[in-house]
Amino acid sequence: MKKRIEVTVNSEKYELAIETHKLLLEFLRDDLGLTGTKESCGMGECGACTVLLDGKAVNSCLILAVDADRKVITTIEGLAKEQNLDPLQESFIKMGAIQCGFCTSGMIMSAKALLNENPNPDISEIKKALAGNICRCTGYKKIIKAVRMVADSQKTR
Amino acid sequence: MPLKGKVGESIPRVDAMDKVLGKALFAADFRMEGLFHMKVLRSDRPHARIRKINTERAARMEGVVRIFTYKDIPGKNLIGIINKDQTVLAEERVRFVGDAVALVVAHSEREAERALGKIQVEYEDLHPIFDPEKSLDSTTLIHEKGNLLYQRDIVRGDVEKGFSDADLSIETIYSTSMLEHTYLEPDAGVAWIDEKGRITVYASTQNPHYDHREIVTSLGIDPSKVRVIQATTGGGFGSKLDITVQCFLALAVYYLRRPIRLVYTREEAYLATAKRHPLIMKYKTGVRQDGKIVAMYVDILGDTGAYGSYGIAVAGRAAVHATGPYHVPHVKVRARMAYTNRPFCGAMRGFGVPQVAFAHESQMDLVAEELGMDPFDIRLLNAFEPGSETATGQILKDSVGIKDCLQRVQEHSKKIKEEKASPGRLSGRGIAAMWYGIGNTGMKNPASARAELNHQGMFALFTGAAEIGQGSDTVLCQIAASEMGIGVEDIRLIRGDTAITPDAGATSASRQTYISGNAVRKAAARLRVMVLENASEFLHVPVKELSIEDALIKSIRDGKTLTTLEEVAARCKHEGKKLIGEGFFDPPTSTLNPETGQGIPYATYAFACHMVDVRVDPTTGEVDVLRVVAAHDVGKAINPTNVVGQIASGVAMGIGQALMEEFAPGQTGSMREYMIPTVKDVPVIIPIIVESPEHTGPFGAKGVGEPALIPTAPAIINAMNRALGVKIVNLPAKLERVMKMVLKGSGAVG
Repeated sequence: MKKRIEVTVNSEKYELAIETHKLLLEFLRDDLGLTGTKESCGMGECGACTVLLDGKAVNSCLILAVDADRKVITTIEGLAKEQNLDPLQESFIKMGAIQCGFCTSGMIMSAKALLNENPNPDISEIKKALAGNICRCTGYKKIIKAVRMVADSQKTR
Repeated sequence: MPLKGKVGESIPRVDAMDKVLGKALFAADFRMEGLFHMKVLRSDRPHARIRKINTERAARMEGVVRIFTYKDIPGKNLIGIINKDQTVLAEERVRFVGDAVALVVAHSEREAERALGKIQVEYEDLHPIFDPEKSLDSTTLIHEKGNLLYQRDIVRGDVEKGFSDADLSIETIYSTSMLEHTYLEPDAGVAWIDEKGRITVYASTQNPHYDHREIVTSLGIDPSKVRVIQATTGGGFGSKLDITVQCFLALAVYYLRRPIRLVYTREEAYLATAKRHPLIMKYKTGVRQDGKIVAMYVDILGDTGAYGSYGIAVAGRAAVHATGPYHVPHVKVRARMAYTNRPFCGAMRGFGVPQVAFAHESQMDLVAEELGMDPFDIRLLNAFEPGSETATGQILKDSVGIKDCLQRVQEHSKKIKEEKASPGRLSGRGIAAMWYGIGNTGMKNPASARAELNHQGMFALFTGAAEIGQGSDTVLCQIAASEMGIGVEDIRLIRGDTAITPDAGATSASRQTYISGNAVRKAAARLRVMVLENASEFLHVPVKELSIEDALIKSIRDGKTLTTLEEVAARCKHEGKKLIGEGFFDPPTSTLNPETGQGIPYATYAFACHMVDVRVDPTTGEVDVLRVVAAHDVGKAINPTNVVGQIASGVAMGIGQALMEEFAPGQTGSMREYMIPTVKDVPVIIPIIVESPEHTGPFGAKGVGEPALIPTAPAIINAMNRALGVKIVNLPAKLERVMKMVLKGSGAVG
C-alpha cells in the first residue's frame, strides 16, 4: 500500500507516493540515495541512523517514511553549504573525532540538534545529547572535544 | 611553506573529509544497476548431521533467482586463516547455531528473506558440547581430528625448583567471557564482474588479499580471475579477518554473472561472526620475600567454539604473554584450545592478551598485598629491561619502555590525589601493566608496498593494508611523505585492491605501522634514490649532493632548488623510464620450539601501564571509572593525535570488558542485549606517549592499536578489589556480581 507524502530533505522538496511500511532510513538511503545515513543496529540502540526531523535528532530506523509527511529532514549530506563545511564537520576533522567513520554521520547530527537548541552546552549536556550514539572506535573523548570546540567558537563570535 | 604531514605531526586523517561529508563508500552504500540481493540460511541446531536440503519450494517463490548449497561450490569447500576446518556452506554437518547452510539470491532483500523460510533442511541432531573441558573428555568429535584444536607449551628453567626457592606462592583460577566486537558497520559486500571479466568483491574486510585466496580456492579458478577491493570499513577489531560475505558473493556471481549485494543485519553479525575466546586461566606465582618473582605456572584452556579461526594464534599469543612484562626465571605454561558447539571464536583486539593480562596483573597485586609492597614497586622490581630474557628465551634488546611507562604513571599517581571514600561511596585505585608482541607469533608475516612517480610527477602509494578506522592510511602516507621529502597532500593513496596493490597481510596484531610502515618507507626510499639518480644525470650534480625537500630537488650544499619532480618525471617519460620503488619487510622472528616454546616470537614489543581510579556505590553495585592515566611505549608516535585516539578507544573498550560485556549464545541476539560503553561511561583520560625507539621500526615506531585496550580492564579490576576488599576472578564484573561481592564481603568472587 502506498501513500502520498510531501517532504523536504536537505532543502529539496519531494512529493511522492511511498509504501506505508517503508522506514525513513530506507527512504533516505534506497530511494533518495542519501547513503551517508547509516544502519547499524536497526532498533534504535546505536544512533548511527540519526537525522534531523524538524530540527530534532531522531533515529530514522524507528520512523516510518510516511510519518515524515510535511516535515523537514536534514541528513549529513545537507550540512555543508556548497564549499563550506558545517562547523561541526570542521571540528570533527580537526580534533581527530573520526576513526572508522560509521558512527560519524549520526554523531554529528545528534550534536547538530543539540547545538541548535543549546549553543553553549557543558560537558554533561553534550554527554546527555550523545548518549544514544554508540562509537566503538574513538572512546568518545575527541568527539566531546569537537562539539565543545564549536560551542566555544560560536561564543566568541 | 614547508609541506605538511611529516612523521610526528598530528595532521588530520586523510580519510576524514569523505567520512564527515557522508560520502565514504561503505559496502552497503554501493549502488549498481540491476543489483540482486542475497540472504543466508543458517543452522538453528548447535550440532547436527544434515540429511537433506530441499530447496524446491523456495526456488519457486516470487522474485527468487537461484538458491545455492554446498553442491554448487566448484572448488574446495574449506576455509580458515590458520587451519582450514570451516565450510563455506555446510555439507553433512552443522557445528553451531549460525552455520551457513544455503544462499538465496532474489530480486529484493524481502523476497530473499521470505524464500529462506521455505528451504527445508532435515537434520539429525548430534550430542552438542558447550564446555571446553567436557569437550576434551568427550567421545563425540566435533571435528575429525579431535576436539583439541591446539596446544602450546612454554618451558623455561625448572619450575619445580623455582617454587621450592619461593617464600610465597599464590594460586588463583581466573576466567573471562565470550565477547562480541560490535564494530559499528555490520558485515557487507557487493560483487560483480568487472570490465576485465574478473569476479570482483567490494567488501568490508581487514585482509583483502586473504579473502582473495579463499575465493580463488573455493571457486577453483585462476587467481587472475578474482579481484577483492576493500570497501571503506566501519571497524573490525579482529572479526573482519575471517571470511564473512566474500565467498558467498563470489560463488553467486560466478554462476549468475550479475551484481549481487549481501548486507548482514546486526542480528546476523552477532549470530554468525567470530567472538572473543573465553579463557580459563590457572595461575601459580612464586615469589621471594624481597618481591622477586622466581616461578610461574600457567594453565590456560580456551573455548574456540565450532571452528579454529584464529584460535591457534590466540593460544600461542596467550602463552607467550602469560608472564606479563616481567622477568621470570622458571616458567611452565600450557595453553590449549578446545572445540565446542558454541559460536566460533577468533581474533579480537589483543588475541588472548587482554585475558591473560587480567590474570597476571591480578596476581601481581595479590603478591604485592601479601608482601606489603607497593603495586608500582613490585612491578618495577620485576619489569623487563634491555637485556632481559623472556619466557621463550628471547633477549630483549632495545625499545623496552615498560619501566618508563610505570614510572611516568607513578609520577601522576603522586600528583593526583586518590578519591576519598565517603559514606555510601567506596573508592579505589589500581594499576596494570602489559606487553604486546607486534605482528604474528613466530611466523613470517611480511608486507609489501609500492611507490611510484608517474610521468606527470604525481606520487602514488600502493598498499594492501586495510584501513579499518585505526588510521593506517594516514600513518603510511606520513611515513612515505617523510621519506620522500614531499607533503601528505601530494600523495595519491591506492589501498586494498588485490588487482593493483601489493599484499600487506592482515590489519591485525597491531602490525601495520611497524610492518607495512617499513615496507612503505623502503619503497619510498628506493623511489627517492631513483629520482635523485635521474636528476643527477641531467643536473650533472652528484647524487650525494642532492635531496628532496618540500617536493623540490635541492642542493644539499646551499639549499637552492635545482629542479622539480615534474621535470625529472618528464625526462624519464621521454627516455621510457619508469620511476617505481618497491618495499618489503618481514619482521625477524623464529619459529617456537613445539615442546618448549623457545624462540623469537616477535621482533619487537609495545609496553604500557594504566592507572585507574574507581568509585563504587555499595548499595547499587554501580562502578564509576573516574580517571585513567595511560602510558604507552609506542616507539615513535607517527601521528600523536592518532595514538591518543587509540588510547581513548582502548580505554572505552576496556571498560566494557571489565564491567559490562558478555556474549551469551542463544541469549544475546542484538545490541539491546549487549551493553557496550556509551559517552557517559568514559572517564577522564590522561594519555602519556613514551617513545623508546625501536631500531627496526619505521622512524622507530612499533604499534598501539591493541596495547591501548589491554591494561584497562585489569587496572579497573585491581581498583575495584581495593575499593571493595575483594578478589574478582571472573570477567565481566557486572552490576549483579559486584552486588554479590558487596553482600558476601571479601573472598574470591565473581
